[in-house]
Amino acid sequence: MKDRFISGYNDFVLPFVIGMSFILIYLAIGIIRVIAQLPAQDRKKFFLSLINPKLWIINLKDIICDVLLHTRIWKRKPLLGYMHSSIAFGWFMLIVLGHIETWMFVPDRLSTFYYPVFFRFFVMETDHTIGGSFFFFLMDFFLLIVLSGVFLAMFKRIRSRIFGMRRTTNNQLPDRIAMYCLWAIFPVRLLAESFTAGIAGGSFLTRPMYWLFSNFLTNTYHILPTWWAYSTLLGTFFVLLPFTRYMHIPTEAFLIVLRNAGIKVSHPRKGYSIAQIYSCSNCGMCIDACPMMGQKKNLRYATVYFNRLLRRRNWARCEESADKCLMCGKCVAVCPVGVDSCNIKRSLRGLKAAPAPADYGYFSTYSLSESAATSPSSAEPAAGQEKILYYAGCMTQLTPVISKAVGTVLDRAGVNWEFMDRDGGICCGRPLILAGRDERAREMIRSNTELIRQSGATVLLLSCPICYKVFRENYDLKGIRIVHYTEYFDELVRLGRITLRNSGEKLVYHDPCELGRGCKVYKEPRRVLGAVGELVEAEKHHDESICCGGSLGSLTLSYEDRKDITMHSLDNLLYASPERIVTACPLCLKTFSPYSPKKVSDFAEVIVQNMN
Amino acid sequence: MIDFGYGISPSSAINLDKFDRTMFEELAREEPDVLKCMACGSCAASCPTAGHSDMNLRKVILLLGRGREDEALRMVSHCMLCGKCLIVCPRGINTRHLILSVTKIYQKK
Amino acid sequence: MELTNQQRNVVIIGGGPAGIEASKALDALGYTVFLIERENRLGGHLGRWDRLFPYGTPADDVLGQMTASMGRVKWFTSTEVTQLNKLERGYNVILSNGLSVLADALLLTTGFTLFNASKKEEYGYGIYDKVITNADLEDWFSGIPVPAVGNPRRIGFVHCVGSRDEKVGNRYCSKVCCATAVKQACEIKQQFPDAVVYCFYMDLRMFGRGYEDMYLEAQKKYGVIFVRGRVSEVSEDKDGHLFVKAEDTLSGKPLRVTLDLLVLMAGMSHNRAVDPIARTLALSTMEDGFLKPKDSLTAAQASYCTGVFYAGACTGPKTLPETMAEARAAATNIHEYLQEQ
Repeated sequence: MKDRFISGYNDFVLPFVIGMSFILIYLAIGIIRVIAQLPAQDRKKFFLSLINPKLWIINLKDIICDVLLHTRIWKRKPLLGYMHSSIAFGWFMLIVLGHIETWMFVPDRLSTFYYPVFFRFFVMETDHTIGGSFFFFLMDFFLLIVLSGVFLAMFKRIRSRIFGMRRTTNNQLPDRIAMYCLWAIFPVRLLAESFTAGIAGGSFLTRPMYWLFSNFLTNTYHILPTWWAYSTLLGTFFVLLPFTRYMHIPTEAFLIVLRNAGIKVSHPRKGYSIAQIYSCSNCGMCIDACPMMGQKKNLRYATVYFNRLLRRRNWARCEESADKCLMCGKCVAVCPVGVDSCNIKRSLRGLKAAPAPADYGYFSTYSLSESAATSPSSAEPAAGQEKILYYAGCMTQLTPVISKAVGTVLDRAGVNWEFMDRDGGICCGRPLILAGRDERAREMIRSNTELIRQSGATVLLLSCPICYKVFRENYDLKGIRIVHYTEYFDELVRLGRITLRNSGEKLVYHDPCELGRGCKVYKEPRRVLGAVGELVEAEKHHDESICCGGSLGSLTLSYEDRKDITMHSLDNLLYASPERIVTACPLCLKTFSPYSPKKVSDFAEVIVQNMN
Repeated sequence: MIDFGYGISPSSAINLDKFDRTMFEELAREEPDVLKCMACGSCAASCPTAGHSDMNLRKVILLLGRGREDEALRMVSHCMLCGKCLIVCPRGINTRHLILSVTKIYQKK
Repeated sequence: MELTNQQRNVVIIGGGPAGIEASKALDALGYTVFLIERENRLGGHLGRWDRLFPYGTPADDVLGQMTASMGRVKWFTSTEVTQLNKLERGYNVILSNGLSVLADALLLTTGFTLFNASKKEEYGYGIYDKVITNADLEDWFSGIPVPAVGNPRRIGFVHCVGSRDEKVGNRYCSKVCCATAVKQACEIKQQFPDAVVYCFYMDLRMFGRGYEDMYLEAQKKYGVIFVRGRVSEVSEDKDGHLFVKAEDTLSGKPLRVTLDLLVLMAGMSHNRAVDPIARTLALSTMEDGFLKPKDSLTAAQASYCTGVFYAGACTGPKTLPETMAEARAAATNIHEYLQEQ
């Protein structure tokens, strides 16, 4: 194997070189911009992450799994997973193998960056070696893999249902041109390599093709144009890249590094968010996932379109979309890239919020419920004994069945507990955070923290997942354990402090958004419910559970539209024909019960009914 | 009418003749639910700030419809946006969006 | 061959006041009438009520008078319609007692069901011992023990429970609850003269003859306290006292009161038992589930289905006099219809 041309150059590489240079410069500028836009604190985090070897390993693992192998798509839709990983991983391997070949056979050329890409054009086969044919085989093999992926991609455009997708993204002109380029690149590469297989050698794919063509193509005039076409397609694709969905290919790796550095969304269109929205591959998995999509008129609010509009800075429509969103987090859960769209929308709400003066001076007039307000000295729990403070939250005031049942379980278990807000209290702050008004929520967090500290509690027990999330994420309550009642009751059962009997009733458990996707609590409620009845699963459950429609996340969704979501969610829950629906959120309970054909109960209520 | 330079405490009476409805109509375009209130008081009763502040959504809606924006805005500044009123409203008024729209539209002044 | 009236069958589904009244009217016109009642006695909700507004007439007297002579009406209690087939002319009705009737006309007097007050979680019905419904209180008035009543010193009535409430899918006013609440408030004052009685209302709809007098009497004679504000939530203290939150909308202040007994004025919901019949006959229903008459003004007793008629609360909440009037109107309409056949 040796160089065919002394210069190692041919004019046809120009389109590729131009395209590649353009995209590399574009990316370099983009990365510098993103880093420059990060808040100082985040920028420090980012640089620190670069010198942390542990993070390097995590980054590498994530990049291989997410960017190349697309393991997240595999888990949900295997065929779609194959399609993505065959193209991504196959292409990656072609690039790597091209470089290895160059390094092995013509090491001088390794510094010429187009050379490994067009390796087969520039070399001629001098002798057959085992190593050489092994690489030829690998090259053909991965090209075949990529081609199979491309074929599936074409097929997906016609029949997306086969891939488990009801709806796919509506592509726009630049996307479509880039897509046709991408579809054409690999078949053209196959042709180019096949035509040169007589000179540069080939394997099981390219060699038979060469024989086939050499039967009727007697001269070699077609070789150069094919390589021109291949190079032009690559160049065009790279130049179009920043303006299309395919920008996710280079961006995603950068996003992974930023995410693993612990950076959070702070501005909807600056810094980290840029990496987020450019990483959106417009795959459209979020469309089917969104609970609003039951109504066709809501299609325009799908996260994928939000990301696209935000890339174009169409603020008015982005704002409309962000205000409509339920913040149920399902699009984030199913997103193969993990675009944190809920937080982007949240920060957009914050950015666009009217500067309203807040007056929370009256917070000082709240106190703990009489019984909970013991003086700190007497409230000091005996060594080893925990003192539980139960914060029911605003919504639970409207579902007394929950607070009463929680009290009954705690009394039965002989737990030392107090009711923090029997007479009402200050909101936890999560609803304001959901509305993007983090600054205003801070006052609530401060006042509640003070009240909780006063009580001398060691455990803060919550029954509302909305409260639970904010207490876990935004409160600083060091020394106080924050626990949701599903987790706590599971613990009481396992410690034998309450015993349950199995009624055999067929139950289905609804994962509330803020508890499941929000706090990743899935197994505890199921373990307890499995002990009191026959637990069946909804059609979609765990992180694919469907929002009840009552979410405080949406600002503009009307009552009528919410009802449609509720009906859709109920259908999903009744999939395995349970006798009763059990949920662990006051808002879900309140939302479901008027419309459910089956009884809807709260988790604690079911425990009380089946407690010995 | 002759202006004597004084009147009978003009601020205490609601004079609908002098009420410029432009802002209220803009609010009704932004959140049409503002027109649906039947003044049952559920929102004000369930409000966690009740008894601690003078926030009262029923009154906010009423006052805005009577040209008393300042009073309404003062009340709204106490809102924690917790959404309890959204749940209890028998007319299904999107109270949280209504409150956000009030601050958005009337803040422009 | 001309059929005599007696050779024509009318099947009436629902043995409440509307069904009873219509069956007698049609019987008087000479038709063969079949009256079907699901429960074990005729009378519907009227049978569960103690006294009726506005004059406190005992419900038993009214019902007794109505059912004193049922004429030749063939009435069946504890009987349901198991099958209903539309024939070329008329309907084949098969009953759970095995009877099969060829009906020339069908009258639906299926009435309403009392709103399930436990659907309003915030009021705590079924959770707190001291929260009861208007129907529970009627039981107590008629001598059935209701332990929750006890010996209350502070009593509250909540109007519009499950009525005028989009959140439970009932946008409409149930019409009778305001008057019932005022009636029950007076009656409970008769039983517990020292008790303080509150009525929490949104709007007092005292539209009927004699209702306003009853309202006046409640204020003047019984000292019932009327609070304009919808109760938003109820909590319970350790001794079982109820803590009620409302807004006193007239003073514009939040209102808190402790009570020993809370009575929820459950409104009317559409009767789900009629749904299968409505599906079989493809009858139109309204958004809230009630049957939709052909025209609410000019053909209020007619359905969109030939030979099927409505009377009473199956088309929406009605007072007793309205129901009775509709029953007689339906009998007339059916008579006209059958004469034209």
